Amino acid sequence: MNFRLSLLSAIGVAALLTAPAFAQDKSLEKFGSPELIAAAKKEGAMVLYTANIAETEQEVIKAFNKRFPEIKVELLRAPGGQLITRVKTEASAGKLRADVVDHSDRALMKGIEDLFQDYAPPNASEYIPEASPSKKLWPRATLVWSIAYNTELVKNPPKSWMDLTKPEYGPKKIGQVIAPSGGTTWTRSMFERKVVDKDYWKKQAATEPVLFPSNAPTSDALVRGEVQIAPILYNAVLPKQRDGAPIGILFGKEGAPVTPFSAGVTKTAAHPNAAKLYLNWCLSDEGQAFMIKELGNLTSLKKAPFYPEGFDPKVVKVWIPNFDEFVKLHDEWIAEWNKIYGYRQ
Amino acid sequence: MAADTTALASTIGAAGTEAEGVRRERWRTIGRMVWSTLLLLILTFLVVYPVAMLLLGALTNTNPVVDGFGAFHLSLKNFTTVLENPNVHLALFNSMVACGGGTALAVLIGLTFSWIVVRTDTPFKGFISAVSMIPLFVPPLVAAVAWSILASPKSGLINTFLKWFDIDWRFDVYTMGGLIVIFGIYYAPYVYMFTASALRNMDPSLEEAAEISGASATKTLFTITFPLIAPAIISGTLLSFVVMLGIYGIPAVLGTPGDVPVLTTYIFKLTNWSPPLYSTAASVAIILMIVTGFLVWLQQRVISAKSYITVAGKAFRPGVTRLGHWRYFTLGLAVIYLFVVVILPTLAIVVAAFRKFLFIRNVASLFDMKQYSLIHFERLFENPLAMRSIWNTMEVGVVTALVGGVFAFAIGYTVNRTNLGGRKVIDVIATIPVAIPGLVIGVAYLWAWIGLPGGLYGTIWILALAFIARFMPDTIKALSTSLLQIHRELEEAAWICGKGMLGTIRTIVLPLARPGVISAMTLLFILAIRELGSSLFLYTSNTMVMAVLLLDYYEGGNVGITAAFSLVQTILLAVLIGVANLMSRGGAGDGIKQAN
Repeated sequence: MNFRLSLLSAIGVAALLTAPAFAQDKSLEKFGSPELIAAAKKEGAMVLYTANIAETEQEVIKAFNKRFPEIKVELLRAPGGQLITRVKTEASAGKLRADVVDHSDRALMKGIEDLFQDYAPPNASEYIPEASPSKKLWPRATLVWSIAYNTELVKNPPKSWMDLTKPEYGPKKIGQVIAPSGGTTWTRSMFERKVVDKDYWKKQAATEPVLFPSNAPTSDALVRGEVQIAPILYNAVLPKQRDGAPIGILFGKEGAPVTPFSAGVTKTAAHPNAAKLYLNWCLSDEGQAFMIKELGNLTSLKKAPFYPEGFDPKVVKVWIPNFDEFVKLHDEWIAEWNKIYGYRQ
Repeated sequence: MAADTTALASTIGAAGTEAEGVRRERWRTIGRMVWSTLLLLILTFLVVYPVAMLLLGALTNTNPVVDGFGAFHLSLKNFTTVLENPNVHLALFNSMVACGGGTALAVLIGLTFSWIVVRTDTPFKGFISAVSMIPLFVPPLVAAVAWSILASPKSGLINTFLKWFDIDWRFDVYTMGGLIVIFGIYYAPYVYMFTASALRNMDPSLEEAAEISGASATKTLFTITFPLIAPAIISGTLLSFVVMLGIYGIPAVLGTPGDVPVLTTYIFKLTNWSPPLYSTAASVAIILMIVTGFLVWLQQRVISAKSYITVAGKAFRPGVTRLGHWRYFTLGLAVIYLFVVVILPTLAIVVAAFRKFLFIRNVASLFDMKQYSLIHFERLFENPLAMRSIWNTMEVGVVTALVGGVFAFAIGYTVNRTNLGGRKVIDVIATIPVAIPGLVIGVAYLWAWIGLPGGLYGTIWILALAFIARFMPDTIKALSTSLLQIHRELEEAAWICGKGMLGTIRTIVLPLARPGVISAMTLLFILAIRELGSSLFLYTSNTMVMAVLLLDYYEGGNVGITAAFSLVQTILLAVLIGVANLMSRGGAGDGIKQAN
């Protein structure tokens, strides 16, 4: 009797102890099979190369580590062109350290597709096919362009992209990130010419905007009042606005150009399971929701979990460039943009 | 018979000694050849091989590691494209004007302060000496950010104050004039370092003779003192000019808004576009190499034409000019310099580091304490990379300073104090890196060293090697100035006393050159800690350094954290340099005592 009681108690205690574990495993299934998760935890680390802003990326890693504290993500951030050179050189020397590479220019990533292994997240079918240039590369981050202004200096903010051509917003009041800066700015420039107005660049350049090399210094100049208005990536200004910076943000009524990034797991990954688990989490509803809510990203999921504050897809139409045009038009159009805006290349 | 035996023995003995002498001489010759070959081999690895990679990059359109050495076609197309490009002409012209003007100002400031500190009775000289060196600790990016906060035409703090005082005039640092002034005030320490050490080590007998002959203090200064320390002035001038040529942070922050492109910002653009244009960047870099190569050649011609030996075996204390009431004027100059170069920019950085946002509507808003917090420091130290980058940087800095210092001393001594074969070649090769901007040589180091067997890539050693190679010319120049000033009679005296070459170096040269050696190592340490360009391609996720993280924060558009991190970096450096400075002074005293 005593023995039976002890056995039953032991089974009961064991059941109680293992129940949460089973429950947790169930909740983790959407990020990968139990085998993948176990293998990833065993690897315990992974190396991520990204062209995204380092601070933003740290936030994503922190959120991932809330789910999987056992996996340490080492980050290497470099500007787009430099990142590609490093990846190519390391790979050729047989010393590619990255397990995951994440880049804003899908065309450049397509060019090094061979370096990546076959990989698809568990929810692959839920993604818009056009957002991925290859079956190995996935839109882990999807950034959207907004129009931001300094609320202390602009009392009559623009409402649309076309408003940015009005003489009242010049000269030197608008900050403009140069078109050849990278994948995101090239998307914006295509949108301006293809969707807003075929002569948009000429009209906008006539307001004599201040040119910036990338989004980040533009957002800083906007906060400081060096420029008053700027077309800018939403994720470069939303965190600042939340922290209390004098910034107002809107989405132009003509639409919102969107740039899906490209991320993949390298063939030579030393931590392939941790890499896949990281991407699975980032591409899951939970990961995408985090990036939308906390960072101001959009998503390339067919059905977004929700949209960032201030963005209503019923009012503002999302615009993703056709990938073939994204590649083909690049050189000729960028040269034209440089000429119109007087940018010396 | 006994006499005969003695004569025979002495003849045999003499013959034996002669044979031994011949044998010793032969060994010495072999030793010299081995030494020269060893130095040349190390230099080939550190300099020739990466530069060859750079040239290959400029002459082809390939990445030698990716495309393999066989798969390229040599052509001058990149050069012709670059030379025909009017934007390159403009960038080259702007670089020459900005760096030329900046150097002139740096020489004026550096020389004035070294004279004030070493040769006048101005009060608080220790303080002035420290002040003159402070700008060296400030990374160029930080200096530029500080001045853009202070003197941007739209939102600059100085202009906010001018507006408050109803003064219509505005400062605008986003201009060529702005670039020249910022370059000049921040690179004056290079001139100061060279000239102060030369003035301190100078035998004052010629100056005393001039004074006895009735020459005025000013006349003595310009006809005796400055001409005597000409190698130091020329070295300081050249170094500050070429360092300015290779700086990215200042023209990037101040030149970009005002549309004043220079060669480094142009090269950075080339490496940053999608897709990156490295071959074109390498070609632009070759233009920079030609310009600086010419200047280095010119400097060597000027220095080798005359003798500048001013440190001999005589005890001396450099004379001090009594300035009377004018000493308060010289003190005033130092205070103004301190205010412009240290206090104002530090205040700007402190405001940026502690203020939540940098929008400052008016003077009242500047003092609104609700706008200040520790949030940027909290975020900085929340990032695990911050602490790791500090530790990595210190490690790289120390390794670079020690290994680089020893290697530079070996080269400096071989070139300046021996007549070994191949020393001219060693000198030329060791000077080459001065002419290559870090942004471009960084990728050449990557191409050159990544394929080497062993685990060099991904360690701090690859960064240290790059810094040792890149800053070798600066370190050797800093050392050579001290070495050139030591009279050969001191070494000859040691040889006569039976000391060998190494013994002479240990007991005579090193103690006398110790201030120079320590200041050269300190310089190397500072340069290594600040170096950004060549780090960009060589750091990995494990070996992140402060300069790269600082650029990350700046590029991330977060001036607050950039400023907070700059403050941390500046304080760390100031402490370390203070320690080195104390060691250097002790060394100078000991050196003189030992020489006596």
